Amino acid sequence: MRITAPISRAEEIGPMLAAGADELYFGVVPLGWAERFGVSTVNRRTFGNLEDGDGLRRAVGAIRDGGGEASLALNGQQYTAERLELLLGLAQRFAAAGGNAVIVGDMVLLDTLARAGLDLRLHISSIAACRNGEAALFYQDFGAARVVFPRHMTLAEMADVAVAAPELEFEAFVLNDGCLFDEGVCHTIHLPMQLGGPICMDSYELDYRRQDGCAPSAREQATLDANDEAYQRWAWHKFSCGFSTTDSGQPFGPCGLCAIPFLAAHGISTIKIAGRETPTERKLKSLELVRATLDRMDGGADPAALADFARSLRAGPDRCAEGYMCYYPEVLHEV
Amino acid sequence: MAVSGASAGAIVHTEIAVAVTDGRGLPGLDWRAGPLFAALRLTPPPSAGLARRAVSRLHLGNEFCERLIPSPTLLRRTIGVADAAGLALTLATPAVPDQGLAKLRRLFRLLPDGAEVVVNDYGVLRLLAREFPVLEPVAGRQLCKMIKDPRLPTEQWARLNPPGLGSPEFEALLGRFGIRRAEVDVPPFARPADLRVGGLALSVHAPFGYALRGRVCRIGSLRFEGAAKFRPDQACARECLRWSCRLTRPADRGDRDLDSFQRGNSIFYRHDGNMQQAMWQAAASGWIDRIVLPGDWRQPDFGVTTEEDRHADHGPD
Repeated sequence: MRITAPISRAEEIGPMLAAGADELYFGVVPLGWAERFGVSTVNRRTFGNLEDGDGLRRAVGAIRDGGGEASLALNGQQYTAERLELLLGLAQRFAAAGGNAVIVGDMVLLDTLARAGLDLRLHISSIAACRNGEAALFYQDFGAARVVFPRHMTLAEMADVAVAAPELEFEAFVLNDGCLFDEGVCHTIHLPMQLGGPICMDSYELDYRRQDGCAPSAREQATLDANDEAYQRWAWHKFSCGFSTTDSGQPFGPCGLCAIPFLAAHGISTIKIAGRETPTERKLKSLELVRATLDRMDGGADPAALADFARSLRAGPDRCAEGYMCYYPEVLHEV
Repeated sequence: MAVSGASAGAIVHTEIAVAVTDGRGLPGLDWRAGPLFAALRLTPPPSAGLARRAVSRLHLGNEFCERLIPSPTLLRRTIGVADAAGLALTLATPAVPDQGLAKLRRLFRLLPDGAEVVVNDYGVLRLLAREFPVLEPVAGRQLCKMIKDPRLPTEQWARLNPPGLGSPEFEALLGRFGIRRAEVDVPPFARPADLRVGGLALSVHAPFGYALRGRVCRIGSLRFEGAAKFRPDQACARECLRWSCRLTRPADRGDRDLDSFQRGNSIFYRHDGNMQQAMWQAAASGWIDRIVLPGDWRQPDFGVTTEEDRHADHGPD
């Protein structure tokens, strides 16, 4: 299996490759984009983008010189025609620099890139929310080489897709960055925190009603309250356990380390560490966790032993027990 | 932005459709547009003629959750109801894993030629194009992406990332799969022209728009404990058919929010008056030709809670 990991600065390339990443993905704001459109959001990340032009060429060169592959995230949900024009130019510069793949979420952009015939592999972003074999084949028909599965899929569902589309590669999340909803069909904005932040982190009061408009009874309200309390706990785990780390800096939060052998067995060839905008140390510590687990599996550890190992990597409070950190909670019953 | 009588010509031709998720509500539905507008507290249309019209299309199904895909029995029954009432039929479908695709394939076999299928998943679209070319695919709201955050403080925010819908490239792509119609919501701060697309017929859902959808369902976890909650493969008891939840932010932050609620795995908002006017203006201009009203699976009426309500026990959870 291969590890794909994020970078947000060129200085991270060397350390990330040295720590065991096989592929590095990143965003770039095309030259002239901010001036033309008045925003710097291109790829779902306002900050943490590499420079276009010389900066892009140097970064891709450094990745290739280091033995890695470079993937460019062009993963907005959708773009207008005039924005596509600048993205195509960026993809052309990336290809000329020796880049390997673009990660795409918008169908029109995918079609545009495929028709342009660039020497780039087309990877379907998790934003595209590919959840079934027909969808995978749909993207394959448009030239896709790989599908990145969205969050909140079971291993069995991924296996169904992989069987239906044997010519495609598949990539799945293994660490960091939870999302409570489905980012491919979330039509909201991550507002500044003073305006509420992401809607899933915003503070809402809840007022339940039955379909007939009646309020819940006291007994029903108690059940609803208990469920909401559990939901808040689940959300806290998904948001990196309050964005906390172990004393040595290893991140808590969404994790599929125990599931790596199952992902491998189900046709997933690449595992993804999320978190483009996170600090370098968090990226490196995340990579350290994934690399160590993968190396242990490649060394012959069986799934149960690997799960024990993965759970032991983060010394400190046992956040694994409740299963709310798990990307693939069904694995809890397997190991 | 009132719609003048003189410009309201096209509006009387607007088709009114009613969407139902759960077949239990079918027998009691009022098929007249006027009472439906009133029940949904929709700003009256600028044409009395439209309010006098009858509903002419029935949408069955749910766009947001695979666990709400209707059974073949319900679909057969609904086809019968539609036939008897002279209504055209649309089947609404959600994004699905392969198991859901198999369920949909069984339903597609039952649909009469020419029936519409609203698709929110490119896999479903591919399946229709390959195996069911006699059905009419419609691009659903989850394919027609636009910013619809009910918390946006100003119109500027709504314009940050303009929708791709309406671009010739997107329409051409949809056209390759036989799509001739799209469905959208009225986005916050909508102007009538936001509801104008080039070559596609356009349906608009009212008076609620969807902001975001998840796969994990909070209310669907109600009967589970511990790690069994909040899982994507949860076999819920379809609690969303029974419960809805109003969402309110603190006044200092959310005083300008659109009225918002969660139903099942999705968050919705109610149009404000300006948005409804924009919709009627677009209908009057002939840019939208169908309005889809929710027959169920909508915001219940949030009235005043009485002490009696609080203490009533409405049955098992």
